[in-house]
Amino acid sequence: MLPKNYLQKKFEKMKPKLKVIGTSVPKQDAGTRVTGKAIYGHDIKLPGMLHGAILRTEHPSAIIESIDTSAARKLEGVYCVITADDVDVNNIGYKRDHPILKKGEANCTRDEIAAVAAQTKEIAKQALKLIKVKYKVRKGIYDVQEALKEQAPQINKFISGKFSNKNIAETFHYEHGNLEEEKKKSAHIVTRLFTLPRMTHACMATSNVTASYNTLDKKLLLYSSTQVPFLYQRDMAHALKMNPSDIRVIQPIIGGGFGSKLDIHPFEPICALLSIKTGKPVQILYSREEEFIASPIRQPMEIELTAGVDKDGNFTFREINIVKDNGAYTSWGATTPFVIMQSFSSLYKLKACRFNATAVYTNNVFAGSFRGYGNPQATFALERVIDLLADKLGMDKAEIRLKNANEKGEVTGQGLHYDTCGHKDCLETVIKKSKYHSFRNTNNGALRNTNKNESTNNGSRFKKGIGLASMLHVGGGAKIYRSDGCGTTIKIDPYGYCTIITGSNEIGQGSETVLAMMASEELGIDLKKIKVINTDTDVKPWDVGVHASRTSFVAGNSLLGAIKILKEKLNKKAGELLKSDNTAYEYENGNIYPLRNTNKNESTNTENKASKLTKEIANTDSYIRNDSDFVKLDKVVREMHFTEPNELAVANFFYEPSSKFQDKDFKGNVSGSYAFAAQAIEVEVDTYTGNVKVTDIYVAQDVGKVLNPLLLGGQIEGGILQGVGYALTEELLMHEGKILNPNFHNYKMLTAADIPNIHFFPIETNDKEGPYGAKGVGEAPLIPTAAAIANAVCNALGLEVIDLPITPEKVMKALASKNTETIQTKNK
Amino acid sequence: MEFNIINPVSVKELLGAVKKEKHFRFGAGCTDLLMELRKKPDEGLTVINLAQVKDNSFTGIKKSAKGIRMGAMFTAHQIVMNEELKKTFPVLHDSAHNLASTQIRQVATVGGNLCTASPSGDIACALVALRADCELLNTTQKTRMVNISTFFTGVRQTALKPNEVLYGITIPANHKNTKNNYSGFIKVGTRRSMECSVVSLAYHIQVNVEGKILKAGVAIGASAPTVRLAESACKFLIGKTFKNITQKEKEEFADKVLSYASPITDIRATAWYRKEVLYNISKSIFE
Ligand SMILES: Cc1cc2nc3c(=O)[nH]c(=O)nc-3n(C[C@H](O)[C@H](O)[C@H](O)COP(=O)(O)OP(=O)(O)OC[C@H]3O[C@@H](n4cnc5c(N)ncnc54)[C@H](O)[C@@H]3O)c2cc1C
Repeated sequence: MLPKNYLQKKFEKMKPKLKVIGTSVPKQDAGTRVTGKAIYGHDIKLPGMLHGAILRTEHPSAIIESIDTSAARKLEGVYCVITADDVDVNNIGYKRDHPILKKGEANCTRDEIAAVAAQTKEIAKQALKLIKVKYKVRKGIYDVQEALKEQAPQINKFISGKFSNKNIAETFHYEHGNLEEEKKKSAHIVTRLFTLPRMTHACMATSNVTASYNTLDKKLLLYSSTQVPFLYQRDMAHALKMNPSDIRVIQPIIGGGFGSKLDIHPFEPICALLSIKTGKPVQILYSREEEFIASPIRQPMEIELTAGVDKDGNFTFREINIVKDNGAYTSWGATTPFVIMQSFSSLYKLKACRFNATAVYTNNVFAGSFRGYGNPQATFALERVIDLLADKLGMDKAEIRLKNANEKGEVTGQGLHYDTCGHKDCLETVIKKSKYHSFRNTNNGALRNTNKNESTNNGSRFKKGIGLASMLHVGGGAKIYRSDGCGTTIKIDPYGYCTIITGSNEIGQGSETVLAMMASEELGIDLKKIKVINTDTDVKPWDVGVHASRTSFVAGNSLLGAIKILKEKLNKKAGELLKSDNTAYEYENGNIYPLRNTNKNESTNTENKASKLTKEIANTDSYIRNDSDFVKLDKVVREMHFTEPNELAVANFFYEPSSKFQDKDFKGNVSGSYAFAAQAIEVEVDTYTGNVKVTDIYVAQDVGKVLNPLLLGGQIEGGILQGVGYALTEELLMHEGKILNPNFHNYKMLTAADIPNIHFFPIETNDKEGPYGAKGVGEAPLIPTAAAIANAVCNALGLEVIDLPITPEKVMKALASKNTETIQTKNK
Repeated sequence: MEFNIINPVSVKELLGAVKKEKHFRFGAGCTDLLMELRKKPDEGLTVINLAQVKDNSFTGIKKSAKGIRMGAMFTAHQIVMNEELKKTFPVLHDSAHNLASTQIRQVATVGGNLCTASPSGDIACALVALRADCELLNTTQKTRMVNISTFFTGVRQTALKPNEVLYGITIPANHKNTKNNYSGFIKVGTRRSMECSVVSLAYHIQVNVEGKILKAGVAIGASAPTVRLAESACKFLIGKTFKNITQKEKEEFADKVLSYASPITDIRATAWYRKEVLYNISKSIFE
């Protein structure tokens, strides 16, 4: 657990000029949530609302010969039954290769065959049972290599076939440097093939949507838990052949996103169609089983990585071939190579890189985006191979990392600009705090089973090990859409209360709290008097959505821009009222204080190296505030509103990060800033049962600047536990296209009792692009965790881990077969 | 999932209901029952709710010279909190403490754990190692005692007759000359809570002041169609001094335990893994 006040000490030392930023303000809606008063999508009840349910295919691969809905239509309480034949719609998905309702064939266990709207959930379910579908079952293709064979049938009929193989959905190619040259310079080269599993988000709130279509004005209202309301509005309009502005998206409180709600999923337009057909509101709620079966997953993939190192331990080149199981349709999950290639090309200094990734259609379930967006997979492969290279060189595993660590000012082969970079700091911190070097075995060469703790375990049933890993991730948004920006409108009312209308949204990560803190800091308004409006596309300005750890960064900068404009107006009025010609003012306790400049030569100094947009706190050496010389903020606003020239205390701002679109070779500075992190993880492996117990996790993360220690701690703890699950226990098991463990009983998500000791050390690099110097933090904590755990298990057992999760059974098998020193069981 | 429910408040009403109802199931904490009915709906079912029955012999705990008797409605939580049980029968305490989660333990009963007759029942496994006796009460208000070794007759099958309810469980007192017994419950799974045993081992080994083994109970869970007492392994230990068990004896003991196992391969583990681990944890008792 995080020690109490674990960040506070650091702050005391910093003598903060900031009063709100950097303090542990609880999430604004914490009370509402823990008392059960939060309104989730499941709680919405509209007058006359019907309940929708979806009939999914019985077979992951089959010809649909006929669908007979007549009995279902006749059932009392059924308002509407739809199949593909009843609707005029477009395909959805990143490649538009995904029909909302399937016609003629089923290609995936999730496939939606028909949908029903009925008076009650029970009637809807009963109606589904009355729908008779005749299938001609096909063998199906569940293995990517099978799908790539010449004789394999084409799985998805909606793609143009621009690739060499009919079952290829997408390819990525990237390179920099002279690979052949660097190969020659390499003293050691290691090649490994890694296999990564399907993991699912398992959000606490199951998927839900409520659609209400107005037959008079032909407008559609959706209560949806999407993470990207504006893209959702556009995609929904395309699917339904509507005008996007006729669709209004309202987000109720969302019980977990983690990337799962980046794509639009068939149940959402289906719900809209049911509402359009019946003219009544319709709600679709997933059961937990449905959630496991029909919501997205982390993309499974095989990563073949060849990497070299010269005799001095400098990394020379990396060559990567990735085959991803795309499933039957293409989602955002297929684009994870955008992020994967960043880690391979730019994590640690690297002279040459060649990267290929191919997504292959199969009859398996398709992926979506998932916190980390391919990066946990990439980092696992990369950090494993770094350990192997160190072994070959006989070099210390910490040393090889420090030697190659990224640096401030570096422009990587891919064109990422590291204006600030905490990579080395992060590594050094976890190496020191974990006492890595006294843990590590000092016997030259043989790095197995011989760390200092082992001698105390007589009989050596329990083997201890320690592993290191680090990571790179976008920390200032990611320009993947035409705009990576966010709009803000801010207003102050005549009573001194502030309303922030932001394009960004809240999916549990706490961004609205951080935005309120920024406004409180800058405007001196009590947090209780600040409201954040962020749930309605009819009200709020554009924002691309919650992903890429971007919200505090992008929405924060947007808000600060709006505040700056607003303050200029307020300052002007305050100056009039105070009969002062000051240009500098301080906002505190609902008051505006003019500041007297005592040093004419000193220009207005901005806080540290932090963002150009943040608080222009006066340098206390040269400015003086007289505590009895002030005007009340609400009075200033009233005077603005009610006296001529009658101006509103309102400001708008649109912030677009400085990042650039990458060119067709995937080169360019894609993010406003970059986040780094390192973890050192200690494990204890029980050789009697194969259980891996994670005892301690040391994590250092370059967060730019800590905005709120409490919420940051939440992101760190939650992310890490997701990472531990990825490493050790979580896997959606499939057999011939069907999911074998669609429940929490057998899908082993970890519980509170499994949380290891987490020692967190934030690294502040004060990035000038970020609000107060902050960077994105949300995804990073989970990215290096599986890699570090795998390295620790290898360190403990002297075996190699080549696939995840590292289950007890795999460990036992590896221990039993001493000849094959790999932990892997593909044939379960 | 739909069913009728009746709530008897006394044993008399309970037995009356049993007599009257044709198609019924008992519900104690319902943590197993609801899962089962959800998977396999049972049309026209009546659930006789045991949770409102006010009767100390059904809900409470009592110590006598013969041993300790728990009512069938005694909960996992109550077992965990009971100091006497913790001291006298650590294996039972451990098994209840490892069951599910804090929330489930509040309602899950010892009677439910036995009557559900799951091969991976944790409390059941401990009670087999403790050689407990089950007290069955029928509609004529007569009780009969069945030793737990014959209570389980197959996967999810028990010796209960249609007109009987499990009324209480008696654990025989420890041998009077014993001191510092070796007693514990080893649960193997992937999570530390909300976990169903992949393999489990319950042991209650009573030793005298010199550490000589006087009595032993060793039971295995999730390794056979029912929880099983490894009788030959128990006999093997009698007369030996616990601390002096040799490596060879440990292995012989583990082999004997393993001879009772006939595990299956399922989604959670292979039969191979279950055997491998059962062997290892059997040895670990003496380490
Ligand atoms: C999330 C979860 C985790 C779990 N984890 C564990 C675990 O770690 N270990 C474990 O052993 N179990 C576990 N279980 C199973 C369950 O909680 C236990 O078996 C519990 O002891 C059952 O008790 P109950 O009172 O809830 O039984 P109920 O569900 O009420 O009853 C179970 C069965 O016994 C019958 N029955 C109940 N009482 C009597 C009686 N007095 N006479 C005759 N028949 C009776 C019922 O008719 C039913 O068939 C778990 C269950 C869940 C839902």
